[in-house]
Amino acid sequence: MREDRHVVSVRDIPETLDDSALIGHSLSEPETFAALFDRHADEIHRYAARRLGPELAEDVTAEVFLVAFRGRARYDRSWPDARPWLYGIATRVVSQHRRAERRRTHALSRMSVDRPATFDDRSADRVTAEQLQPRLARALTRLSAAERDLLLLVAWADLTYEDAALALGVPVGTVRSRLHRLRAKVRRALGGNDPFAEEPQHG
Amino acid sequence: MDDEIRQFAEGRPPAPAYRPEARARARELLLAEARGGGRFRLPRFGWQAVAAFGVTVALVGGVAAALSGRPQEHLAAAAGATQSAAVAEPPAGDLEPRPGQFILVESDTMYGSMTMGRNGEESRHLYRTHRKIWQSVDGSADGLLLIEGREPRPWPGQRELPKDAEGRQSSLWTTLAACPGAPHRSDYTYLSTLPTDPAALRERLYTAADEKDVDRDERAFGAAGDLVRETYLPKAQRDALFEAVKGIPGTQVAEGVEDSAGRKGVALGRTAGGTLTQLIFDPATHMFLGERQTVVDERAGQAPEGSVVALTAQLKVSVADRLPDEAATAEPGGGCPSSAVPPTEQPTPAATLSPPENVTEGPEPAVTGTMTATPAAPPAVKRSPSESAPAVPESGVAATETVPAPPVAPTETAPEPAAPGAGS
Repeated sequence: MREDRHVVSVRDIPETLDDSALIGHSLSEPETFAALFDRHADEIHRYAARRLGPELAEDVTAEVFLVAFRGRARYDRSWPDARPWLYGIATRVVSQHRRAERRRTHALSRMSVDRPATFDDRSADRVTAEQLQPRLARALTRLSAAERDLLLLVAWADLTYEDAALALGVPVGTVRSRLHRLRAKVRRALGGNDPFAEEPQHG
Repeated sequence: MDDEIRQFAEGRPPAPAYRPEARARARELLLAEARGGGRFRLPRFGWQAVAAFGVTVALVGGVAAALSGRPQEHLAAAAGATQSAAVAEPPAGDLEPRPGQFILVESDTMYGSMTMGRNGEESRHLYRTHRKIWQSVDGSADGLLLIEGREPRPWPGQRELPKDAEGRQSSLWTTLAACPGAPHRSDYTYLSTLPTDPAALRERLYTAADEKDVDRDERAFGAAGDLVRETYLPKAQRDALFEAVKGIPGTQVAEGVEDSAGRKGVALGRTAGGTLTQLIFDPATHMFLGERQTVVDERAGQAPEGSVVALTAQLKVSVADRLPDEAATAEPGGGCPSSAVPPTEQPTPAATLSPPENVTEGPEPAVTGTMTATPAAPPAVKRSPSESAPAVPESGVAATETVPAPPVAPTETAPEPAAPGAGS
């Protein structure tokens, strides 16, 4: 009943077997779903951690895969890549923590520009990225929840518009028009400046 | 160019590394769910385990000879050799496990193991273990699992073992985290609250059948298997469960089906995926003897017709006062579902916490010939019962021995949530 019953070893899932086939397989061999976790958990965790911070990210990641597992029969198997689906679930789970996200975004937006990096990875790029955050974080607070979900799926999870549309369950045309609107909002929030430039660009 | 979006992309906050222990725990949760979690949702109860030690009780279901040490290369031959001893004796009396104690179940198992190879091909073999599992009687304490690997076997119809079948024969001690409030419970205290009316119990089995993608009868049958595997149910629940499973449409009854120790019992079976799964019970006591899976359709079952792809024997069920010393060094096993224990909710009603010495009345353990009294702290659990041992609690430890179970009324009277779904 516990531990090793019906052992299914999923270490060696071939890369040629796409997510869709894997999910199909997991209908009869539920444990093979763990291979989907092995493939995508790190990525989902990164996304959750960026949005909610490290504490909640672990719970969220676990929850995402449980929700995904329970809903696996409804997965549209014509999509070989499960990432959009997982990100869609992740987005919904994250949205249950809106308050925590607001707190985090708020905190990031107040972070001083010269605040030292908080994580071990202190490459020059990383520090640059951190220094960008307060401005971006402030811009984020101007967006609606739906706009933020979309923007961050595209910007932080690197989903294509098509994948983001899948994840959010909206037509890709809607994604395009929403992005268009939110870009304008962001531009205004950022003051029309290139946030990379600490100095005015022309001067 | 999507400049604004690129700015966000390049300005993404650093993500901390996924801590390996958190990752492993999340994966374990997922696997637990895949193995049939989320079955029964029960009201929580918070009474504490009463410290009780001094009595070790064992119920021998059958063949102690089939325990460790015997070469198991030729299971069929071995089973034949133990045939005479094989038929389970009706136990002279039921166990009376008490909160604070552990139920120890020893079993031999053989299940199919599947590995997906590099090029999409699957390799299979039969994976065999001897298992000992200690589970807290009331689910309040961590349990312990020992898995000893046994010689694996080739998958039926194949001559060789896949390479990855090697290296699984060492012993592994694993701590099983207590998960009070977890949706899926199998501790004795919980099992004792299951309905003793077969129809009502059958209803309960069906509350597990809330997944739309799987046949409901099949799920109910699966839930029944989860209740008997490596557990101990009181006789009333065993009887009810046997009848309840029999009443699941599509369940076939077969007499004289052998478990892996060669004991014959009455089997309740269902066919799914080209494979007949049978739960084998002692006809008299309805103790669970083991399970057997036989391929009935070569294509769906992925093995020649008639081949056995799972076979187990639950060899011995006993009660232990404490975990063996290995518990201290065991690997941590899976954690609890995050929904299991809302940390804010920890009801510990004062009435149920009264110290044991205040409790002077209560049901005496139904002491029978299968019980062995061992005064003071016994060296953990390996104690086998001696059938002739007197069943009388020794006076020196009488105070401990007569401690009744804490009131179970809160559990028994608490309404069971009827809704199966309520996912976290």
